[in-house]
Amino acid sequence: MAAPAPRPPALAGALEVDRLANGLRVCRVVNAQAPLVSTALFYRVGCRDEPRGRGGLAHFLEHMMFKGSAGYGPGEIDRLTQALGGSNNAFTSHDLTAYHFTFAADRWPAALAIEADRMRGLTLDPEAVASERQVILEEIAMYRDDPWDALELDVQAELWGDHPYGRPVLGTPEELEGEGAEQLAGFHRRFYRPDNAVLVVAGDLEASALALVEEALGGIAPGADPRPAPPPPPALGELRRIERRQGEVGRLILALPAPAPDRPEHAELRMLAALVGLGRSSRLQRELVEEGELCLAFSAGLTDGALGSSFTLAAELLPGIDPGEVERRLFAALAALGTLPPSEPELDRARRLFASDWVYGQERIHQQALVTGQALAELGLEQPGRLLARALDATPDELATAARRWLVPEAGAVLGLSLPESAS
Amino acid sequence: MVAIRVVLVGGARVELAPSTALLAGRLLAEGTGRRDHRALAEAVESLGASLSSFGGYESIGVAVDALAADWERALELAAEVLFEPAFPEERLTFLARQAAAELEALADQADAATALEFSRQLYGAHARGRPLQGSAASLAALDPAACRRFHAESLARGGVVVVAGAIDPDAVARAAAAAFAALPPPAAPPPPAAIAPPRRAVRRQPATRARDPVHLFVGQISVARADPDFTALELAGVVLGAGAGLTGRIPQRVREQEGLAYHATAECVAGASIDPGRAFAYAGTSPDLAARAERAMLEELERFVAEGPTAREVDEARAYLLGREPFRRETARQRAELEAQSALLGLPLHDAAWVRAELAAPSRADVAAALGRRLDPARLARVVGRPRRALPRA
Repeated sequence: MAAPAPRPPALAGALEVDRLANGLRVCRVVNAQAPLVSTALFYRVGCRDEPRGRGGLAHFLEHMMFKGSAGYGPGEIDRLTQALGGSNNAFTSHDLTAYHFTFAADRWPAALAIEADRMRGLTLDPEAVASERQVILEEIAMYRDDPWDALELDVQAELWGDHPYGRPVLGTPEELEGEGAEQLAGFHRRFYRPDNAVLVVAGDLEASALALVEEALGGIAPGADPRPAPPPPPALGELRRIERRQGEVGRLILALPAPAPDRPEHAELRMLAALVGLGRSSRLQRELVEEGELCLAFSAGLTDGALGSSFTLAAELLPGIDPGEVERRLFAALAALGTLPPSEPELDRARRLFASDWVYGQERIHQQALVTGQALAELGLEQPGRLLARALDATPDELATAARRWLVPEAGAVLGLSLPESAS
Repeated sequence: MVAIRVVLVGGARVELAPSTALLAGRLLAEGTGRRDHRALAEAVESLGASLSSFGGYESIGVAVDALAADWERALELAAEVLFEPAFPEERLTFLARQAAAELEALADQADAATALEFSRQLYGAHARGRPLQGSAASLAALDPAACRRFHAESLARGGVVVVAGAIDPDAVARAAAAAFAALPPPAAPPPPAAIAPPRRAVRRQPATRARDPVHLFVGQISVARADPDFTALELAGVVLGAGAGLTGRIPQRVREQEGLAYHATAECVAGASIDPGRAFAYAGTSPDLAARAERAMLEELERFVAEGPTAREVDEARAYLLGREPFRRETARQRAELEAQSALLGLPLHDAAWVRAELAAPSRADVAAALGRRLDPARLARVVGRPRRALPRA
């Protein structure tokens, strides 16, 4: 009998968590695998906290965080990052907004000075706001122009309906027109406070790391607003279809509602996604790509929203293939997950690939900072460990039960098709 | 984890018919004399590992990523795939169909389609002037015998085996020497292809499948990785737009100052390897802003070549590239790929001290002189990918 699948650590490195007097939670991930240090500052604010009709505010503010604060003029954060040989970036999701830097281990405190300065306040020059609004309008146009992005936005909007997860993170052009310096400053004042933030410092850290954080950020006053209470996820209760025409390649997304990462059966669904989509031997890779020769590519996975997830299957069709045939095979494969539990060798292979995938997801220091920060900001540091263990321990019967409960498109799902324009 | 990379010299730059390197490379993982593609995938995935094979512009080869404890088995599988490929006809037919679909998918991405046309303008008949997939016609024309021949010639040209990760180097070296005894070391790196820049400026406006954005590329052929001007131009590229965030003259002017694009970037040695890379500026913008963005990019390039960078810009670019060095060696996969590239190019790119010395050498005057030699604003190629059927913005 083969040795059991390996159990990677849920989070890389040695973790220590502290809370400063102003409420800022600080997590140190000590890991000397490379002479680098990453910082990741997560604010518990995202698209879901925007008032109705004010979509895109959180993301707009993320852009403006690089456009000037008391100590750093427009563009200076990037210039300093470059001069120090580092990298930086930021992202906004429905739940969170995150800013991250990676520097050589001897100069990373520069990131703390920047974060402290822009947490205290922004310049928000009206001309800079107007210019950045135009940049975001271009960003929206780019997303709408990509057939996959456009299809995914439409599918998520249909799946989540009026729930904030159904809104585009970038907002709409009409919504952005109404946002100016005053609105952005107000949003910053409400949510960009230390008691609404989590800072992860990961990498080749010295013992003084926490003191450096305290010195840079400990003096900023708390006072974040409580987050608005989220509405419950909608119940679809039926299979809905979306059809659009863009480009010349057929594309298909099937999205089914799924529980949030801390809810029962989320982990089982992750393992089910591995069974159908991870590796060339997985069920649907074989059925649709390797043997069926219907699709160029196929993927399966779960989104990670703190309030709810979606189990998503995506396929890019080979030319001339009938999307109806792909749809039939997808539905049949989902049904089979509930009636034909995986054999031991099949499940063992999926577990091993799942474990490898988990390790690769935290291979680099900045990945470790982001994964740890997201866990701490949302559902707790224990959550990844629970999820990993549950996924690897799930039995064939438990997986079949989860599949019967969640993977039934007729009970509630959105099927999105992007079909060739020339065929219209 | 352990990363294994087996790389054979050659690739599309030496193929006689388009598509050959890509499909011959990909076919390696589609079955061997011992097992078909299904059994091979199961053998690999039962370890929780991944195995893929590839065909690129300058090499073909095999990549395996596995748990460190499984390095021996992973090495055996890599050797089996490299030395015993079966080139089954039905898998070639399938891969050719997939590659044709990739060409369609590329055409759906207006930025990628415009970039392909830009490469065609720069590289002409050289392999880099066409996609690795070739065309639907070249894909359909390829047969297993041509792939087998290409593979045999690639093996004869020699190659390199790299294993990186948490391993016992002596044990791995012994096992690799035994498993790959039939693989000759690569000969001296081949000389770069001579690719003449156009005699005068060219401007093309291909129609894309975009609904709104216009994609602009402006640039020229630059230098190969081994060229003495490479490092000076790498520094120039950072000054122009290849650095951190939105620094660089192109993103500063096009995005930050004028708000003309979400994505704006520039490089001076993009893709430089055995053959020359490209110096270019790029912006993705809307039809009503495209003319302004194009003008801004041209002005910045002309000014940059005429005046050269400032001393501060060069110092910051140098600091940036020096600071980035540890980023390139964080993972086993990165280290394996860096070692393989070093062996193919005959340059010690894996040696951080050598890289630091290279970066320390060029002065501001050196960078300005290299720009003057290698970038001629009067002979830039401009490719403006425009929507064939623009839709009004929502």
